[in-house]
Amino acid sequence: MKTAIVITLLIANSVQAHAAGKRAELDGVWILFRAEIGNLQLTPAAEKLRAAYDYHKDEPDFQCKPASFTRIMHTPSPPIELRQRQDRVEINYEFMDVRRRVPLKKGLSSANAPYAATRYPHLGRSAGEYDEETLVVETTGQHPGVMDTLGVPGLYQSGQMRTVERFIPDGNRMQVVVTHYDPVYFIQPFTVTFNYVRLPGGKIEKWDCKPEEATFEQFIPARK
Amino acid sequence: MYRKFAAIAMILSWLLLTCAPVLAHHSVAANFDQTRTVDVTGKVKGVAIRNPHSQITLEVARPEGGVTNFYVEWSDKNALVRRSVPVAKIRVGDIVTVNVNPSHRIPDLGYFRTATLPDGTVISDCGFAAFREGIAKGKTGC
Repeated sequence: MKTAIVITLLIANSVQAHAAGKRAELDGVWILFRAEIGNLQLTPAAEKLRAAYDYHKDEPDFQCKPASFTRIMHTPSPPIELRQRQDRVEINYEFMDVRRRVPLKKGLSSANAPYAATRYPHLGRSAGEYDEETLVVETTGQHPGVMDTLGVPGLYQSGQMRTVERFIPDGNRMQVVVTHYDPVYFIQPFTVTFNYVRLPGGKIEKWDCKPEEATFEQFIPARK
Repeated sequence: MYRKFAAIAMILSWLLLTCAPVLAHHSVAANFDQTRTVDVTGKVKGVAIRNPHSQITLEVARPEGGVTNFYVEWSDKNALVRRSVPVAKIRVGDIVTVNVNPSHRIPDLGYFRTATLPDGTVISDCGFAAFREGIAKGKTGC
């Protein structure tokens, strides 16, 4: 039995995505090419919340509020930018003007890191490190609430959620594998894989979301 | 001319409304029928190029007389700029024909595909999917 478990763990470890490129290739501006949603197994509490989700009222987008980093990356057109510095990684998301700072300090736990995006403390705290050429970012401290509204509409997160993002370079492609661990809402870790392509010469523009322009009534005006 | 188009658009929209599915979120695919298109002709009443969604308001003639608003939903401003769509050519007061994907359930709403201006110029937008495909193939855009 023990042997079987060890073999299973070895196989699981060996199939974890590793970088085909070098970490320096992560720097740049990227647009989403495809997102793949892994096996989702929700707890009864999550199923109940999802059933009650009403995007007219519950979609944070309509209040110019980025629900989560996963939700931000699920927005198809606005690009993201990565810049690796000596002591931190800057991740700039065009969507909702989110400017994320991820400290790179050996042994730093995300719980002790500053807010990842000072303007949006509900997104939690992040800490990063490298696993060979892959950038690994752990985030905790996200506020309970709606997590995703595009990939999986009506998906909720609890305050206990922990995410691990693996930024994997591959030349002009980048893969970001996000694993969500949430004992309250997910029976097993829930993974979303975002595949990006480099946007040559691209830059992050101002999003400048205005709540009065982002409302549901503005999106579907005929419902007024 | 645009009365005829408006009448057709309204009839089609009513048919869509009566068989509309229940929708769970606000994505374009969920709200607009991307398998169908409708031409709507009217006077441009407003152009709001903005994030997260742009919008053109057309004043169209009602079959029974008078006018009503038809709303054209569109991409976010940043994406339109990035795709080099000449949005400034769509001017308030002009009579234009806009080709849209009709809303699944709202009679006077559609999603932008093309706009034909008074001088015959056609403004088109390849959309994000074509844009990213182009970038992935090493092009500079669509």
